[in-house]
Amino acid sequence: MSPLDLLVAVPLGFMLATLLAGRAARWLILLAVPAMAGLAFWLVLVSPDAAYLIGHWDLPLGILLRPDGVARLMVAATALVIGAVGLHALVDPPEKAGNAAQAETFWPLIYLLWAGANAGFLTTDLFNLYVTLEMVSLAAVALAAMGSLEAALRYFMIALVGSLAYLLGVALLVARYNTVDVTLLSQVAQPDLATMLALGLMTAGLLIKAALFPMHGWLPPAHAAAPAPASALLSAIAVKLGFVILLRLWFEAFPAVTGQPALHVLGGAGALAVIYGSVQAMRQQRLKALVAYSTVAQVGYLFLAFPLVAGAPDPSGAWAGMMMHAVAHMLAKASMFLAAGLMLKAAAGHRIGDLGGLAQAMPMTVTSFGLAAVSLMGLPPSGGFTGKFLLLNAAIAQGAFLYAGVMILGGLLAAVYFFRALSACFGAGPAPREPAIRGVCTAAPLVLAGLAIVIGFAGSALDTLSAIAAPWAAPGVAAP
Amino acid sequence: MTADPTVLLPLAVLWPMLLAGLALLPGWGPRMVLLLPLGPLPALAAALVASRDVPVALPGVLLDSGLELGATGALFLGGAATLWFWAGVYAAFYMRHDGRPAAFALFWNLVLAGNLGVFIAGDIVTFYVFFALVSLLAYPLVIHDRQPASMRAGTVYLVLAVCGEVAILVGLMLASFGAGGAIGIEAVRAGLALPSAHPAAVPLLIAGFGIKAGLMPLHVWLPVAHPAAPVPASAVLSGSIVKAGIFGLVAFLPLGMPTAVAGNVLMILGFSGLFLAALMGLAQAGAKAVLAYSTVSQMGLVMGVLGFALAEGSAPAAVLPAVALFALHHGLAKGALFLGVGLAPVCGRAWRWGLLGGMAVLGLSLAGMQLLAGALVKSALKDQAGAFGATLIGLSALTTALAMARCLAVLPRAKSRCRPPLLMALPFLALSGAALWLPWLLYARITGTIPLTADLRSLIFEAWPLGLAALLIAGAVAVGLKAPGLSAGDALGPVQRWMAALSAAARAAERAGSRSLRRSRPKPQTVIGEDLDRIEDVFREGAAAAILVLAIAGAVVAASLI
Amino acid sequence: MMTFAPLLLVLLPVVAALVSFALPERLSAWRNGANIGVAFVKLLVVAYLLLQAQAGVVFEWRYEFLPGYDFVLRLDPLALLFVTLSVFLWLLTTIYAIAYFDRGPNLPRFFGFFNLCVLAATGVAMSGTAITFFLFYELLTLATWPLVTHRGDDKSLRAGQTYLTYTLAGSVTFLAGILWLQSLVGAIEFSAPANLGAIPPLTLTLIFILCIGGLGVKAAIIPFHGWLPEAMAAPAPVSALLHAVAVVKAGAFGIVRVIYDVYGIGTVAELGLGVPLAALASATILYGSARALMQSDLKKRLAYSTVSQVSYIVLGASLVGPFAVIGGLVHLVHQGIMKITLFMCAGALANRMGITAIAELDGAGRLMPATMAAFSVGALGMIGMPPVAGFISKWYLGVGALQSDAAWAVAVLAGSSLLNAAYFLPLLYRAWLLPPPPGRPAIAELATTRDRMLILPAVVTAVVSLGAGIFASLSFSPLGWATLVGQGYLR
Repeated sequence: MSPLDLLVAVPLGFMLATLLAGRAARWLILLAVPAMAGLAFWLVLVSPDAAYLIGHWDLPLGILLRPDGVARLMVAATALVIGAVGLHALVDPPEKAGNAAQAETFWPLIYLLWAGANAGFLTTDLFNLYVTLEMVSLAAVALAAMGSLEAALRYFMIALVGSLAYLLGVALLVARYNTVDVTLLSQVAQPDLATMLALGLMTAGLLIKAALFPMHGWLPPAHAAAPAPASALLSAIAVKLGFVILLRLWFEAFPAVTGQPALHVLGGAGALAVIYGSVQAMRQQRLKALVAYSTVAQVGYLFLAFPLVAGAPDPSGAWAGMMMHAVAHMLAKASMFLAAGLMLKAAAGHRIGDLGGLAQAMPMTVTSFGLAAVSLMGLPPSGGFTGKFLLLNAAIAQGAFLYAGVMILGGLLAAVYFFRALSACFGAGPAPREPAIRGVCTAAPLVLAGLAIVIGFAGSALDTLSAIAAPWAAPGVAAP
Repeated sequence: MTADPTVLLPLAVLWPMLLAGLALLPGWGPRMVLLLPLGPLPALAAALVASRDVPVALPGVLLDSGLELGATGALFLGGAATLWFWAGVYAAFYMRHDGRPAAFALFWNLVLAGNLGVFIAGDIVTFYVFFALVSLLAYPLVIHDRQPASMRAGTVYLVLAVCGEVAILVGLMLASFGAGGAIGIEAVRAGLALPSAHPAAVPLLIAGFGIKAGLMPLHVWLPVAHPAAPVPASAVLSGSIVKAGIFGLVAFLPLGMPTAVAGNVLMILGFSGLFLAALMGLAQAGAKAVLAYSTVSQMGLVMGVLGFALAEGSAPAAVLPAVALFALHHGLAKGALFLGVGLAPVCGRAWRWGLLGGMAVLGLSLAGMQLLAGALVKSALKDQAGAFGATLIGLSALTTALAMARCLAVLPRAKSRCRPPLLMALPFLALSGAALWLPWLLYARITGTIPLTADLRSLIFEAWPLGLAALLIAGAVAVGLKAPGLSAGDALGPVQRWMAALSAAARAAERAGSRSLRRSRPKPQTVIGEDLDRIEDVFREGAAAAILVLAIAGAVVAASLI
Repeated sequence: MMTFAPLLLVLLPVVAALVSFALPERLSAWRNGANIGVAFVKLLVVAYLLLQAQAGVVFEWRYEFLPGYDFVLRLDPLALLFVTLSVFLWLLTTIYAIAYFDRGPNLPRFFGFFNLCVLAATGVAMSGTAITFFLFYELLTLATWPLVTHRGDDKSLRAGQTYLTYTLAGSVTFLAGILWLQSLVGAIEFSAPANLGAIPPLTLTLIFILCIGGLGVKAAIIPFHGWLPEAMAAPAPVSALLHAVAVVKAGAFGIVRVIYDVYGIGTVAELGLGVPLAALASATILYGSARALMQSDLKKRLAYSTVSQVSYIVLGASLVGPFAVIGGLVHLVHQGIMKITLFMCAGALANRMGITAIAELDGAGRLMPATMAAFSVGALGMIGMPPVAGFISKWYLGVGALQSDAAWAVAVLAGSSLLNAAYFLPLLYRAWLLPPPPGRPAIAELATTRDRMLILPAVVTAVVSLGAGIFASLSFSPLGWATLVGQGYLR
């Protein structure tokens, strides 16, 4: 046994169990959280060469699960986020009034998401990645459907386009190289048209999943409509899977194929996303829409980092910055959606202007929102700051002042829209409704936001972790 | 005290401060008025017995300050302490029914400490601290009765005092820098005499000290402020506090090194003040105002001489004793005169004649009447004033005598037949005596020459201005001539009107400016917002997503091909 | 063990903050006790550190928070100067705040963020690297925002917005500056200025402008001063804190660090950057004073006075002469003590008699003599009247300006002194000499509700500002300490 396959198998097991358990399904989360936390912890500490072949078949037939730095970080963060969201949902089930059945569908879906995400982070087989992508998309669409069927359908349609594009790319690669394993591909990949076409299609498909501007159209309506725990999972995890697969493609499989101009296509889209998402967020009147557009902007930073990682003489800093930003965003955005959900339950309406008086009524929740906002704005001390600091450092060292400027501007714009919401909380308003919110509900976003802050102090540790088996450090695979 | 007389120097300033502190204690304030005469006693002792030119270091205080009593300083200190003592005796009686005794005792003692401290400061920082103390805290004394006229006078006083402080501060900074960062007074003065000294230092110091001492165009505060204070405070203001300004000039002017421009300007201003102020004094209606103008005039005389000495480069050893002696005499005499004005309402009939006689003698002494102390001190000054200056000083006897006569003429009448209380009369007599006697006592010791070397004929010959004055006064009384009426503070009225107009204009401009700013603020844009909404709608379409996928894929391929 | 002393100074306020956040309002006595207790313990720690520092011990605590970037807390003399100031004033402000609010809404939040502010301010002082400095600098921005918006009305929310707009823009500018410099010379340690010789002067100048521009926002240098007067919407203890210790001082302190510990005097002089900065500071001094003169609101007037006074520090630092440095540094302390006195008094006036406009000050001296006496000392000190501490700063700045061949700066100081007198003396005039208007509470009535803790802190700071002036040349006076720091830089 190894944590690698257990991390995929255990959530699947829980999914089956929830389907069988009926009304008691929700209580399984109490078992799942310690189990998954332990497995994630095991994974973080596991020896770097503990690659695991399912079924012990050799490549290319077997499926390789590999505990590299990216996987360790993302799996651990996923465990934290889903654990916290799960506990939150246990106490405060995501349901519309009088629709208890809906709450029951929530539980299998999060285990499916969990399994898919873990598998996606651990595997390096492009076809398996397609499968995990579909698992996660399915779960995500179903979660979005809990809020608004129309938004979910739109999401489904667009996700389908993405999946098809990705699958087309995989098919092209199989035809060309007869393998879909990332490690093998990196050794044989040629910069010919077929490879480039495959890479282009897969990238475009994945960008839809990652909700990078201009393919972010599905995200704001889906988030705005979904219940808070579902939004948290969508924004924190579903989006990240697309990002991680793109990392595998661009830095592990085809570093020999991708050139600086292509990287700048991604970087440029990322920069535009930062600006566009921020501007849209500033214009939103509803709190959840604001938070959703903030995700659009934050995803931009991840892709803005691509050319910075590739262009750096020593990519370790930029790489660590990118990963830290991803982790910090997962924690902070999940916390923010949970907190926003609680706040909207207490507030008179869904608009930002309705938040008055909340700082008095629910100080802990507003604090969670504030701490998460600090990390998302990239203000110190926080994980968001550390990540952005490393990226900025890399950008300035490379003379990429345009990217540096976009990052700085993005931080300022984020401050504008988040403080607008916070400011409203501090202002006077009608006495908020007093929902019966229990301790765990308040604690979950607080813990996540606190972690987003605390990882800012653990920069060195995260840096070491992210560098494990990183593509740029691997012998024989030179960064472009 | 015999063990170490230098301890008297710190005591001289600390003791009044202690008394001031006691006045703050609840319930003690009214009683402290009775103790006012005690304030200057350590200073008086110090002036008499403390060793000269021995620095007393006060480590840790200010910038490691020190106190030091020089020969000139001792004269100033002794004169000031004497005047403050007797004025204190007068005040203890005069202010006994006052409405704000605690405040009076507090500020009286603080100003006293500052006044004395100026004369014994060993370095410029200590000097400046004491100077500021005496300058600014005299304000509450000026406005003590809270009458509207006093308040106006106080405001004028304060504005000019603050300006003077700033000028002195900057001047001292420049001087200290020129002396290589030294702060000892002697070192700074030596630095000012160097050719490398900053050209603005001396003029700034002259302006700053000139304000305090009533140098002609800067004197406007003096004739309104001095009379506004209660009588004993007027006495020390005019007798002693203006001397702080003179002492500042004495301490810092780089005598011995010809400084033509500054010296000549100071001389011209000083001598014009000597005559103009006395003439303006003639036109005053209040006795105290006349006396205040006379102070401006007499200080003009001293500053004129100092200016001449500065321009000529006379040695300080020759000039300063004469200046100090003159200051001593003027301080005591002017103090006595102010007390005399205070006595007038309580001197009925015979007492009044006695008072008029006493004040007339003091006035004649100030005017330089032969054989009186005033002539003695003026003769010492004349030796240092050059031929032209000496002539002017001789001529000034005419204007001074006229002003003094005017003062006597407008002396307030007694309300009824009453006799002056002893505690008010005694200080007047004591100060008059000291003013007339001390110069004789000290002249030889200080100037090193025997008094009255001139022969009798020249003495009589030089008395013609006084004779002319006597004729004029007699004529004026005979025809019942009335003096023209001038408001105290001459140039003050127009200046205040201009200031008011200026500040009103500034306010109006500010308002207009902020209005136009508010108008020019741009209106919020909404067009861009609507466009952004439309763009966002496009991105949400499924078909758009498909097209975008192809576009991105194409872009990646194209970029990879580059 | 005492290498952890710097860390202790950072962690103690965290304890107080957590206690404040956690305790419910009915346990407010415990909260107050914890706040005062922690502030007092900090003062003891600082006293111990001062004694050690005089023996030449420099405490340092280091932690690698990113590869190549250390989180360094270092107590050099300059840091101790600022730490001592903030810790001392914090104790007083805490006492004052407890008396000021007595019972009000949102106090747990207030005291929590209040402690985070002291944490950030001491952290700013102790930072040993540029990145550590930035961490605390930003924490300060964030922790202050809830204090500015404490009242929650429209005015304070707007003020909070303005505050953030300015300070965050300043922060990112500063961040860009230090990142740029780091990309050229590696991590910036304050204890060992990097060798900047190889960098083109134009780049260095641009980086300098970015850094100073960023820091200048908090230091309220024109044209970045707009937030400060608006932040007056905050309650009085916050204004006292913002103006005297925390925010504006952090900016000024940062400018001192950049000039002396990042660039070094030599480089600044070589690049000719000192004079333009000094000119800007001078313009701020005069502009702030002139604007103060036009205000009719007491706190606004004090705010513009701060704009003017803080630039004295910048002026001293940018003139890079031996006396000017000392003058600037000592003004850091003196301005803090004097301005906090003024704000605490203004708060007491507002709290007890509802006085906010200058025109309402009439007769305040008669009704609240101790408060107005403290106010007067502070105001006279601001004008530069001896023997209050402000005079000492002005003296050193003036002579320092002459040493640096900048006689024009002396003219600026003189002009500012006159303007200061023009806007402070009328206040004293009204308070002491005009009769109170009808409708003011009688003295006897005020005496029944008197809260000594509201007045005591201001009286203490007034006495301290007098003492700092009168005993300036003692070795442990602010001047003595500033001289020690200044000599360190000029050696």
